[in-house]
Amino acid sequence: MNVLDIHRKLEENSGLLIFGILFVSAIGGLVQVLPSVFQDELVTPTTETQPYGALELLGRDVYIREGCSTCHSQQVRPLLAEVKRYGPFSSAGESAYDRPFLWGSKRTGPDLHRVGAKYSDAWQRVHLVDPRSVVPNSIMPAYPWLAERAADPRENIQTRMRRLGMLGHPYTDEQIAQAPDLVSDKTELDAIVAYLGVLGDAAGSAGGMAH
Amino acid sequence: MIFVPVAVVVQGNKLFSHLGQETASVGVVVLKDILPLALIPPIFLYVGSTLSGWEIGAEDPIHLSKNIVLLVSLCYFVALFAGFIGLAVLLRWMAPTYDASLELSRHLTVVATVATPMVIGSLAHLYPHIFVNMLVIIPALIWSMFLLYRGVPVLLDTTPQQGMLMASSLIAIVLVATVTLLGVTVVLWTHGFGPSLGL
Amino acid sequence: MDTRFRTVSRSLAGEILMVDSRTYNDRVVTVLVVLSLVWAIAGMAAGVFIAAELVWPTIDMGQEWLSYGRLRTLHTNGVIFGFGVSALMATAFYSVQRTSHVTLFAPRLAWFCCIAWNLAVLAGGISLLAGWTSGKEYAELEWPFDIGITIVWLSFAVVFFGTIVKRKVKAIYVSNWFYGALIIVIAMLHVVNSMAIPVSIDKSYSMFAGEQDAIVQWWYGHNAVGFLLTGGFLGMLYYFLPKQADRPIWSYRLSIVAFWAFTYSYIWAGPHHLHYNAIPEWVQSLGMVMSIILLAPSWATMVNGVMTVAGAWEKLKTDPAMKFIVLALAFYGLATFEGPMLSIKSVNVVSHFTDWTVGHVHSGALGWNAMITFGTFYFLVPRLVGAELYSVRLANIHFWLALAGTMLYILSMWGAGVSQGLLWLSLDELGELSYSFRDIMASMVPYYALRFVAGAVFLSGAILMFYNFVKTMENRTTVTRRIPEVRTARSAVEAVA
Repeated sequence: MNVLDIHRKLEENSGLLIFGILFVSAIGGLVQVLPSVFQDELVTPTTETQPYGALELLGRDVYIREGCSTCHSQQVRPLLAEVKRYGPFSSAGESAYDRPFLWGSKRTGPDLHRVGAKYSDAWQRVHLVDPRSVVPNSIMPAYPWLAERAADPRENIQTRMRRLGMLGHPYTDEQIAQAPDLVSDKTELDAIVAYLGVLGDAAGSAGGMAH
Repeated sequence: MIFVPVAVVVQGNKLFSHLGQETASVGVVVLKDILPLALIPPIFLYVGSTLSGWEIGAEDPIHLSKNIVLLVSLCYFVALFAGFIGLAVLLRWMAPTYDASLELSRHLTVVATVATPMVIGSLAHLYPHIFVNMLVIIPALIWSMFLLYRGVPVLLDTTPQQGMLMASSLIAIVLVATVTLLGVTVVLWTHGFGPSLGL
Repeated sequence: MDTRFRTVSRSLAGEILMVDSRTYNDRVVTVLVVLSLVWAIAGMAAGVFIAAELVWPTIDMGQEWLSYGRLRTLHTNGVIFGFGVSALMATAFYSVQRTSHVTLFAPRLAWFCCIAWNLAVLAGGISLLAGWTSGKEYAELEWPFDIGITIVWLSFAVVFFGTIVKRKVKAIYVSNWFYGALIIVIAMLHVVNSMAIPVSIDKSYSMFAGEQDAIVQWWYGHNAVGFLLTGGFLGMLYYFLPKQADRPIWSYRLSIVAFWAFTYSYIWAGPHHLHYNAIPEWVQSLGMVMSIILLAPSWATMVNGVMTVAGAWEKLKTDPAMKFIVLALAFYGLATFEGPMLSIKSVNVVSHFTDWTVGHVHSGALGWNAMITFGTFYFLVPRLVGAELYSVRLANIHFWLALAGTMLYILSMWGAGVSQGLLWLSLDELGELSYSFRDIMASMVPYYALRFVAGAVFLSGAILMFYNFVKTMENRTTVTRRIPEVRTARSAVEAVA
C-alpha cells in the first residue's frame, strides 16, 4: 500500500479526514503552546510585580476598551536602541497579572511599558484630553469623554477583583473591601492616569543591557 | 522613435503594434534602449544628492560625500542594467510556456517600454526626498504595469490569454524579487553593513 | 392586505424551506454573496476612514464611536468576519454541493448560518463601537458573541460535513479538505483562545495572562490568518480556478503534499509575532524555522494553480474574473514569501512594530483575499442568477483600481515601515539615539496620506463591482439547477473536471 492508496482511504472517509485534520493541526499547539501554558515559571511575577490596585485596574480596562494597544506597545525588546529610548527591557514576569497581555503589535505611538516614570500625572491628563496641546504633531485621537465619566458607574470593582482572584491574583479580602471607596469619586481619566502611572514600576534593574 | 520614451507613456497601446513590427537585433536594443534607460536614474540621483542632501523625513537632510554618491550611482546603474537584462532573460525563459516569441530582442523591448514610465519618474531623484520620490514613482509603476499587460501579447506575438498569464507571472516575480531585495538589504544592515544600529 | 402578506410570506418561507433533493440549494449562496459584498464595502470604508484619521486625527470630532481605537476593530472584524467568512460560507456551500453531487444537508441550518452569522457580525460590530472588547486582536468580540459564533460555526460544520457524508462521489475533493480544515482548526483556535471569566455582559478577563496569553493569542492569531484567510481561500481557489479554466488541477499528488504540509506547519508559526519579546528563545526559534518551512507548501499550491491555468489557456477568457484570480495568485506568492522572510529574526528586528507588517497584511488581504474573492464572484454571480455580467468594462476598470490600490498600499507601507524600523534603531557617532520618536512619527504622515489614497482607490473599485452586481442581479432570482448524474469517476478530481 503506497502513500496514495492510504490517502485515498482518507479521501473516501469523512470521519478519517476530519480526525486527520484535527490530529495534524493539534500537534503544533501541543508542542509549542501547551508547555508554555503549563510552565508556571514563565508566569511567575517578578518580586516587584503586584496585581493592579482598584483604580489602576479600572484604568487598564479603559485602556483596553479604547483600543490603546492598537497603537502603543508595552514590550521593550532587549535591543540597545530600545533600552536607550524606553528603559529596561520587558521581562515575562512583569505581565503575570495582565489579562489579557497588552504587549501590542504596532507602534504608531511610542512604547508605554516604562511610561509611568516618564511623565507626570498632570501631563498625562492634559495629553489624553487633547494630545496636540502638548505634542503638536501628534496623530493620537483625543479622549475628552474620559474626564466626564465615573470610573466605576456600575460599581462592580469588587466583582472584577474577585474574578481575578479566582484566576490567581492575590487580592486580600481587605483590598477588595476597601476598593469601592478608592474609586467612588474618580473619573475614567483618573483611572487610566493611575494605570499609566504604574507602568514600569516592576521594571527593576533586571532589564538593563550589558554594553 | 526618437521620442519613444514619451510616446510610450502617452500613446501606450497604439505604439505597441508599431513596435511589434520592428525587428532589431539584441545589441541594437540594448544600446539604443536599455543602456540609456539604465543611465538616466543614476544621473538624476547623482545630481540631486550632490546638490542637496537626502531627506529621509526626520530632522536634517543627510549629506554624503561626492565619492560615496558616485559609488552609489554607479551601483544603481549596474543594478538597473543587470536588472533589465535579467528580466528580459527571465521573460525569454518563460516564453515557451506561453507560446511567446523566442527572440531576446523582443523581450528586451518589452522590458524597455515597461520601464520607461518609471525612468521618467526618476526625475524625482532630483529632489532627494523619499516621500516625493514615492509619490511620483508609484503612479509611474502602475502605468508600467498597465503597459506590461497591454504590451506583452502584442510585442511577444502571443494570444491575449497567454499574454495575460505571462504578464501576471512577471509581476509575481518582480514583487518577490523586490521584497527579497528589501529583506536582504535589512539583513545586511542588521549585520553591520550600513548605518549603525543599536541592536 | 393581511391575507396577501401572509400568502407572500408563506410562499417565501416555503421557498426558503423547500428541499428539493434533485436541485442544488443556491439561494443561500446568493444571499451570502450579497451580504459578503455589503461587508466588503462597509469594512473597507471603515478602513479608509481610520486611514484618514492617521493623517487628520481630529476627524473623529471627539466622538468615542468614531475614535480610531474603536473603529479599527470594526474594520478588521468587518473585512475578516463579515466579508471574508460570508464569502467562504457562500463558496463552501456552493462548491461542496457540486463536488458531492448532492443538495446541501440541513438547508434550514444553512440559512441559520447565513442569517445568524451576519447578525452576529452586525451586532458584534455595534458592540465593538460601544467599547465591548476583549483586547485580543482578531478576537475582540466579548464572551456573549464568542458563544454565539461558536454555535453558528458548529452549524456551519454540520451543514458542510453533513453534505460531504451524503455525497454521491466516492472521494472527497481537495477544495473540501481546505474548507474542512478551515472549519475544524478555527473552531479549535477560537474555543481555546476565547477562554475567559465573565465579569458583566460586556466584559471578561482572559483565562491566560501575560506571556502565556501572548503565546496562545498568536497561536490563534496567526492560524486565523492561516486557516481562514489562507486555507479557506485556497479551498475557493481549488474549486473555482479549475472551473474557470475548465480543466482539472495540474497535480493531484502535489495538492495532497501541499495540503498536509500546510496544515501541519502553519500551526507552529505563531511565535514569529513575538520575536525579541519575553517568550522563551526556543519558542521564537521554532516559530521562525517553521515559518520558513511553510513557504514550501504555500508555493506548492501557487504552482499548482499557475500550472493549471497555463495548461488551459485556450479555454481562458481574459475576462475580469480570470484576471483577478491569476493576479491573486501572484500576490499570494508575494505574501507567502514575505511572511517567512519577516519571520527571520534579523529582518524582524527591523520590521516588528512597524508599518511593514501592516503592508504585509494588506498585500495578502487586498492582493490575495480580496482579489480571489472578486474573481470568484465575477464568475459566480452571473451563474447564480443566470445572466451575463452587466458590464465587463466596469469590471476591467475595477481590476485596474484594485491593482493600483494594492500597489500603492504595499509600497507606501514598505516605505514607512523600513524607515521607521531603521530610524528607531539608528545611533549616531557618539552611540546615542539619532532621532526622537516624535520626529520619526511626524515623518510617517506623508506615507499615511498615500495609504489613505490607496485605500480609497481600492474601495472605489469595490463600489464599482457592487454596482455591477446590483445591475446584474436586478429583477432576477437564483436559478434552480438540477444536480447532474454522477458518471463513474475514479477520483473526485475527475468528477469535478
